[in-house]
Amino acid sequence: MDNLKNTARALLQPLLAIIVGLIAGAIAIAVVGGSIFETYGEMWKGAFGSFYFFTNTLSRATPIILIGLGVALAFRAGFFNMGSEGQMVLGALSAAVTAIYLPGPGWLKLIAALVAGIVAGGLWSALAGWLDAKFRMNLLITTLLLNYVAVLFAGYIVSYPLKDKSGSAAMAQTVMIDKAAWLPKLFPGMSLHAGFILAAAGAILLALFMRHTVGGYEVRMLGGNPLFAGYGGVKRGQMMIYSMLASGGFAGLAGAGEVLGTQYRYLDNALTAPSYAWSGIMATLLAGSNPLGTALAAILLAALQTGGMGVERNTNVPLEVSSIIQAVLILFISARFTYSYFKKKKKKAGASNGPAV
Amino acid sequence: MDQLFDVSLFASTLRMVTPILLAALGGALCSRVGLFNVGLEGLILIGAFAAIVGNHLTGNVWLAVLFAIVCVSVFSALMAYMSIHLKANIIVVGISLNFLAAGLTTFSLRAIFNVKGAFYDKDMVGLPKWDIPLIKDIPWLGDVISGHSPLVYLSIVLVFVLQYYLFKTVSGFRLLAAGENPTAAKSLGIKVTRIQYGAILMCGVLCALAGAQLSLGQVTMFTEGMTAGRGFIALVATMLGQSSPLGVLGSSMLFGLMDALSTRLQGFSVPVHFTMMLPYLVTIVAMFFFKDKSYMQEARKANESSR
Repeated sequence: MDNLKNTARALLQPLLAIIVGLIAGAIAIAVVGGSIFETYGEMWKGAFGSFYFFTNTLSRATPIILIGLGVALAFRAGFFNMGSEGQMVLGALSAAVTAIYLPGPGWLKLIAALVAGIVAGGLWSALAGWLDAKFRMNLLITTLLLNYVAVLFAGYIVSYPLKDKSGSAAMAQTVMIDKAAWLPKLFPGMSLHAGFILAAAGAILLALFMRHTVGGYEVRMLGGNPLFAGYGGVKRGQMMIYSMLASGGFAGLAGAGEVLGTQYRYLDNALTAPSYAWSGIMATLLAGSNPLGTALAAILLAALQTGGMGVERNTNVPLEVSSIIQAVLILFISARFTYSYFKKKKKKAGASNGPAV
Repeated sequence: MDQLFDVSLFASTLRMVTPILLAALGGALCSRVGLFNVGLEGLILIGAFAAIVGNHLTGNVWLAVLFAIVCVSVFSALMAYMSIHLKANIIVVGISLNFLAAGLTTFSLRAIFNVKGAFYDKDMVGLPKWDIPLIKDIPWLGDVISGHSPLVYLSIVLVFVLQYYLFKTVSGFRLLAAGENPTAAKSLGIKVTRIQYGAILMCGVLCALAGAQLSLGQVTMFTEGMTAGRGFIALVATMLGQSSPLGVLGSSMLFGLMDALSTRLQGFSVPVHFTMMLPYLVTIVAMFFFKDKSYMQEARKANESSR
């Protein structure tokens, strides 16, 4: 009974947040003079209207899921990793460079490129963890600042030393990766690629890791009660570096997946413009750092974004309406309104009902 | 070298430093009452946008600044309500506020001006440039100090006002007590939550001014995400300045100089990527050398009790 109540309460929060987000979106639509139902209809069609749009949504969700998982791992340990963008970009760049310049058969290039992406993202992230653990430099801020450094550095690499000079277009990008090293598409003619399977597997593995392993327990303990974890022999500094390494690894894999599955080269701004990294962080916040929940939230956010494009195509409402819905969702969920509502109700009913939650 | 470090570099430093300084003062107030405000970035962005909207609607610069203050106050009140009243984790609220600011400004840019990316109108008037009598005529100094927008001078004045307020008045002392030890302060009858609300609202006003300086003082236009991490640099400036107004002034000056230098270096044959990296790299290096232990612990506490 209690269990059932708890699950219901856990589900109620996100559901309410989604409703409030949609109401905020409706207000925004009304303000610009669109029809609310027509706009939401177009949004649904743009995200799930046909098999093509559905796979399109999933393909957009792929990097968001991976980044969200990485951030969720760090959040669970109590570390605010805001540096996913830089970690993803460096992962993408390393994957592209590896796939282009490593000799050998296609499958070897592909695997090496994925590994390179994970390692690059992980090391960049672990650097911030090390700076905090060793020199007490606030992680939240260093990760944020390192984003700018990473993105600008990658921009420099593809604008000067590794710039593709073969084409006539003056785009800041590397040359194309050999076709043998591409991540295969799951359905012909659709944008969904094998990276989605990696992301789904990652979500399940991370959920199992968190729940059933010693390492996962230590991570949760450290995030839940650092003092207790310290007494239990968990070394915070070490944990910080390892969890940041893993966290950045996920972000690096997200970047590598996009390069090997969608773009087939590193193109400047191709990963930062759709703000995958920030969507990933939003997904984590939305799901309260639960791995499977993060994956679902990532698909929801991706659906809002692809749905927004549908809205832009077919109505006069700008696609930015989805960013309002997303932001209100997050803001609402961060306050845990329902929780405080329940608490107040309990107080009124008398405090003898046993412990809350 | 002489070409680089000339009068206009220092003059533009003063211009560049203002948004960072104003926001950092707001951050300092928040951190003094025990709140780690990561929403500075979003508040500045809303301020910058609201200032442009106000200017467009009224055609008066001062009404525009006032409009920015009102708009940002609404959002800082929301932030205060969520973090103090509903006891949401202030870091999470700050992060989501940044998302909301980014989403709301891009949406309103489309909805109000029907443009994407940036809004510029040649009829709009920016903040006036004030020439200071007497100082204007001093050869080198006059060119650096004179001829800025009023907000530049206001920010410097505010530093000293806040310094005096925090450390020399009773009300300022109560504010410090509320942050230092909320329980003890409460037992003395100090209304801690009211002081916290006040600090966040004041921080909102300062961020609105920072935004107005950004969009009306320098270029008279609004670009999507035009804050470009300045809110976070301001946060670092707060930390390096040990949350004291005079310290914040010093650390902000460093970042302002780097900002100006990075714009300046673009004229030289250095790849633009590296010049743009400069402020962020210097910020990281500065974090390495100057650490405020007590403030860090404050942030750490907030960090750890999050989940």
